Amino acid sequence: MHKVNAGLTVLVRLKTDCVDAASALLVELDAHQERLPFAKSATTHFATITVIPAQKYGDKPLPAMLLFATSFCGPTRVHVSELVRIMGDGLREVLQHCERFEPSCSDDELEDFLIYHRHGDTFYSGMQGLSPADVQQHRQLREAIEEFIDDREAHGGFNGSPLVVRNEIQKFVLSRPDLAWAEQPVEESTRAWLVFHWRSLIIEAFLAALIFCTGAWFGGSSLFGVIAACGWIAVLAFVVFVAVMWLSIFEAEHDQTYVAARTPDDRARFLAATQTRPVINEFTLAGPIKEEGMLRPAFVKVSLWVIARVVEGVPWMPYVGSGINIPTVATARWIAADGGRRLMFISNYTNEGIAYVRDFIETRGGAMRINLSFGFGRGFPKTRWLLWDGALTDPNAYLYALSEHQRRTLFWYGPYRDISIDNIKRNRQIREGLFADYNEDQAKKWLQLL
Amino acid sequence: MTASEQPQETLEAEDIQGLVLRGYGPLAAARFFLLEVVNDDRARDYLQKLCGRLNLASISPETTALQVAFTAQGLARLGVPKSALDTFSREFREGMDDNVRPDILGDRGANDPSTWEWGRQPEPIHVLLMVYALDDTTLTQVLETERPSIEAGFKIRHEKETITLTGQKEHFGWRDGISMPKIAGVPPAVPAVAPAERPQKKRKESWTDPLPPGEFVLGYRNDYQAFTECPTAELADDPANHLPVIVVGNETKKSLGRNGTYLVYREMTQHVIELWDYLEKSSREPGKDPAARAIALGAKIVGRWPGGAPLITSPERDDDKRADENDFVYEGDESGLRCPHGAHIRRSNPRDVLAVEDRSHDASKQMVRKHQMIRRGRAFGRPVAETMNPRDILAARGKPDHERRGLHFICLVGSIERQFEFVQRNWVHSANFDSLFKDADPITAARRSSADENPNDEFTCPADPVRRKYKAMPPFTRLVGGGYFFLPGIAALRFISRHP
Repeated sequence: MHKVNAGLTVLVRLKTDCVDAASALLVELDAHQERLPFAKSATTHFATITVIPAQKYGDKPLPAMLLFATSFCGPTRVHVSELVRIMGDGLREVLQHCERFEPSCSDDELEDFLIYHRHGDTFYSGMQGLSPADVQQHRQLREAIEEFIDDREAHGGFNGSPLVVRNEIQKFVLSRPDLAWAEQPVEESTRAWLVFHWRSLIIEAFLAALIFCTGAWFGGSSLFGVIAACGWIAVLAFVVFVAVMWLSIFEAEHDQTYVAARTPDDRARFLAATQTRPVINEFTLAGPIKEEGMLRPAFVKVSLWVIARVVEGVPWMPYVGSGINIPTVATARWIAADGGRRLMFISNYTNEGIAYVRDFIETRGGAMRINLSFGFGRGFPKTRWLLWDGALTDPNAYLYALSEHQRRTLFWYGPYRDISIDNIKRNRQIREGLFADYNEDQAKKWLQLL
Repeated sequence: MTASEQPQETLEAEDIQGLVLRGYGPLAAARFFLLEVVNDDRARDYLQKLCGRLNLASISPETTALQVAFTAQGLARLGVPKSALDTFSREFREGMDDNVRPDILGDRGANDPSTWEWGRQPEPIHVLLMVYALDDTTLTQVLETERPSIEAGFKIRHEKETITLTGQKEHFGWRDGISMPKIAGVPPAVPAVAPAERPQKKRKESWTDPLPPGEFVLGYRNDYQAFTECPTAELADDPANHLPVIVVGNETKKSLGRNGTYLVYREMTQHVIELWDYLEKSSREPGKDPAARAIALGAKIVGRWPGGAPLITSPERDDDKRADENDFVYEGDESGLRCPHGAHIRRSNPRDVLAVEDRSHDASKQMVRKHQMIRRGRAFGRPVAETMNPRDILAARGKPDHERRGLHFICLVGSIERQFEFVQRNWVHSANFDSLFKDADPITAARRSSADENPNDEFTCPADPVRRKYKAMPPFTRLVGGGYFFLPGIAALRFISRHP
């Protein structure tokens, strides 16, 4: 089974008279996590369950929703089946407040319900390819090696070259039956590679075919010429589509009237109080997008699609390699809900709220990327051509808008309490390099990870 | 357009208190007064007179300098309208002892505000008056003149003595105040340092370009090319027109913050003997000079040698020629073999090696520039050894010592949250900074032991072939008081001290 990380985002309308009851239940479950025992799940890294209140996009009402979002590894069906098996009753208790849910449903029906209401998202994982067990095992390995080194340091230290020292560490690990798993090579599954890259592969295959057909066309083949022409028309149509949307957004940018104002003290304190865990915290945003611009909802979807492709990177890179690397983020997702009229964002990250969101705007490139995602949100400072101005020139308004849209996460499961995402990545490097075929220089660099 | 390409704003030096541009190094004597307003009229009278007597950024003082700052409580007591007070930053209004701060600042355990000697509610601290003088004699004379006027309007809650230690050092024995951000926009006619400071302070270039004035002085553009939140007052609140008019959105207001800055003050005691004892015991090796070993380990935890030379450019030994060096970066030392990742100076100012999205050194600099502070601290208490030589400090172990000594840490920032609090929480106190696991700042952090959910009492020293870990480090400092203050511009001081 592959271990590709993905997001399961389930969005279901809450019954209008059940919003308070659902909220109260989630608070209760958060305090008694044994009733939703994600800790027993072998596939779940993080889980967020919360209530998104009824909001408005212009005059249009956006309904109150239950947001159920897990960051998991492996095939979706396996993950969902596992959740239903482990916590079916707890899930039914939560979902009973949702429209069209039958609490007496069977496990299969519950699985189908979750899959049916799965919502598309743009997902990023800083631990791509790792399972929760991997994270814990890597940590155990590193701690055992650290103890071994400390013990040796206290008794004369190491003598010899980096390769010799590494060899001693290898021998130590081999002497420990509980670390026997570390001797196994790290699997590079082709299936995982395909699962992660299939969308990008289709795009790349299309572009490769187009180039080939165009070449053949110039070589005199009329059949390939027709195919190439159709392909180029499709590309042109896509470019025109994006250009028209872009122009319409430019017009809408001028018309924007509302920019978020300074966050009231009570709210700032309330939000700060939700971000007090020492290492990894969780952050949920949900709010309507800017009302100006008829095509803006469509553009939100296109932007998130483009970001998803960037996250996936290029297929010929190892599947663990992604198009972006955000040092503070364990997992994050953007969701274009309600037909693109409501933007949601969930992140499990190292840091606390304000400092975390500041990270994104402290470089010019970062602020422009933020404009292309959060910049659609209502109250976000005016952007210019989607990329310029916005958070780049008005960081205060960007922070105010985020505070305005931040939601209290009523239930959160996060098992990695005292290690950062950087720590998780480093533990992984230690595990992957322990028995790798290294030369002296590589061994030296590996030892520096400890 | 990058920050350096922006048209440069020029600081209105005649409306800015001098502390923003200079640390008054040649004025070796200083005393800080933490005051409570007890007679409103006389307090205002005194403050009004101060408007013409404060040292301005445009003038380098030769013998004395006065500076004044206020807590939020103090501004309220002096009659600053609530609508204006509400425009100050939330952190300033809440204060350093607010119950949300310990998580942010790491002020837990022995550093918890409940243990402080000053700066916690309900004790009223309204005003910080800072008096600098050329020497102790001059200071005594100034205080003799000043004290009756102060005591007419204020109750002196605390009077903080200071000391200037040999060799520009702090009590642990390290040369201090070397890495200071440069501010752009200083008028050419304004000497950046006092005349007496110039020969010693001829420093090399900094690791980064000068920072826009708005990073430290309110009312100017900051490194985002935007304006930091700046306190304002209503037009009607300022009938005497003390304050300049500004336009905020669609509204016309008076700028109360312009030419002012936030001042963070933390008084911490330093456990000098404990530090050197720990260094010596942790670095012992048969046949080696224990003092030299202790100094070398000390250099690792600080990131500089006691004389000031940075490990990055002088990894093997202290070097007087590099005592004030500040133009180095960490590129090339990603492994930390020269300067450990957790060293005090590396984690409190990571320069070009902060882990950023695109892993570029330039991006790191862009981020780190937004978390700089102007430090204006002073030491207090007699040193363990007058020479400030680490070997003499080591030799003093075992001798009776009941002296209370430490540092009045003072820094100036445009944003308490983005600059001071960010650095404290994410760099100084974080056990997980830069891929570390249980290391906080070895010098200044409050320790969390292994019994804690997130312990931070280790120090990792990268070495060849493997690192050395120093565990169960005791705390070497203790916080005994602190507060957030507003250091106003002169026009704002006139407004604050006006009679209703």
